[in-house]
Order: sequence, then structure tokens, then C-alpha cells
Amino acid sequence: MLRMYRGLLQLYPAAYRREFMEEMLRVCEQAQKDLVGLPFTARAAFYVREIAGLLAGAAHEHLTTILEVDFCPVRSRDMKPQYRFPRSTVGLMLVILAGVLLAIEQAKGIQVKYAPGGHVSAVWSTLPQFATWVLALVCLAGFAGWAILFALGRSGVQRLSNLSTEVVAEIKR
Amino acid sequence: MKALPLSEPVLLVLLSLSDRPRHGYSILKDVEQISRGRVVLSTGTLYGALHRLLAQAWIERYGQGDGSRDSRAYRLTSRGRQNLQWEIARMKDLARLASLRLAHKEA
Repeated sequence: MLRMYRGLLQLYPAAYRREFMEEMLRVCEQAQKDLVGLPFTARAAFYVREIAGLLAGAAHEHLTTILEVDFCPVRSRDMKPQYRFPRSTVGLMLVILAGVLLAIEQAKGIQVKYAPGGHVSAVWSTLPQFATWVLALVCLAGFAGWAILFALGRSGVQRLSNLSTEVVAEIKR
Repeated sequence: MKALPLSEPVLLVLLSLSDRPRHGYSILKDVEQISRGRVVLSTGTLYGALHRLLAQAWIERYGQGDGSRDSRAYRLTSRGRQNLQWEIARMKDLARLASLRLAHKEA
């Protein structure tokens, strides 16, 4: 068990291992000694609990390190601002929905024009027009997204501009 | 101070450290005892909680006589104790409100 425990501890980030690995091993060893004489179900529950705890803990530590968000905070979870959708998402989703509906209508138009009786003809003749529409819709959606970001002051140019201002201010300091 | 409730493992670990400093194994056993066997922490869960509490300075390491890592003990800081007291006050208030509401309903 301890060999497997030590192996699973390798899943943790290096800094965490340096900090707690030996201590966790010692505690697990002590807890394992308490299992002597207990029924099989109690021992199995202990092993399952320890393995699950290590896997969940390692995943949590890595996610916390990578994303810099604590998924298991000291206080119970509430709806934190970083988990909420920005309001602009609603507008962007409506634009995308409109684009999809428009594409469906256009597809119906193409079907009526080129296959009025329901007979499907070769698609190659309609492909350029279809590709043009798709390109136009993608550009429209992209432009709408950029316009929303620009209105919110979060476009790439504006962020770079802010960054440059901060860097200049830092250098001046 | 945002009065969000503490998660149960964290509350039990803080309660365990409220009377005296303890090392990891002692915390494990004490949590099991004070929860009357209802909560049995794994070492992964325990050290995850200890890691976060250390990061927030709610607990600190205590008395490493020989400097070895496996003999580390932990104790509450004044900040941790204050947060624990707030949490207990919050729970008391909630229990009082619940009792009042139930009494009102029964009357």
C-alpha cells in the first residue's frame, strides 16, 4: 500500500511534494497500522478513500497551479464573478442564433431554387455561393464579437494600449 | 467580511486545532472523534485543507524541535481563530432563527 501511495504522491506538483510528501507518507503509515484487526470492508474503505483523496488532491493542486483558481476554497462555493458569463455573451449568442437561422433560410431558398421537386442535384454548382454565405456569416459574427469587445473596452488593441501605458508608467517609476 | 459558510473538512480541522496544536495524524483522529465517526478524512483531503489554510495564514506550523518534516505540528493563528469564531456565531444565529421559525410554526 505504501509503495502505491508513494507512487500516487508523484502525481502532485513538485513544490507540494517537497512540502508535504514525507509527512503524508508518515500519517498514512500510522493510519494503516490502525487497520489491524478490522474487517475487510473497513480496510477496503480506507484504501479507496486514500486513493480517491490522492487523485482528487493531485488534480486540484495542478488545476489551482495552472488556472490560478481555487476549485475547493476554504469557504463554501458561491457564484464567483469569474464563473459568471459576461453580459456581452447574451448579445453574441443572439447574433450567432440569428446567423444560424439565416443560414437555414438560405439553405431552404437554395433547395427551392435548385431542387423544387425535392430532387437533390449535384452540389458543386451551389458550392461557391454556399461558401460565400458561410464566409460572410463568419465575418459578420467575428465583426459582431469584435464590436462587443471594442464597446466593452476589451479588444486586443485596447488591451495592448493599456499594457503599454502600464509598462511606460512602470519604467518611469 | 463575507459570511460564507466554511466547508465541513475545514471547519472540523479548525475545531481540532482550536484547543491545542496537533500534527497530521492527530488531526485525522480528532476529526473522526468530534464528528462521532461521521467524517473520516483521507490524508489527501487533510493535507489539501492544511495547504489552503497555511496559504491563507489561518494556521501555522508549530514547534519543529528536531526540524524533521514528519514531526510538524500545526496551530491556529489569531486570524484562523477569529474566522472560526465568526463561523460559530453564524451557525448559532442560523440555529436560533431555525428554532424560532419552528416554534412559530408549532404554536
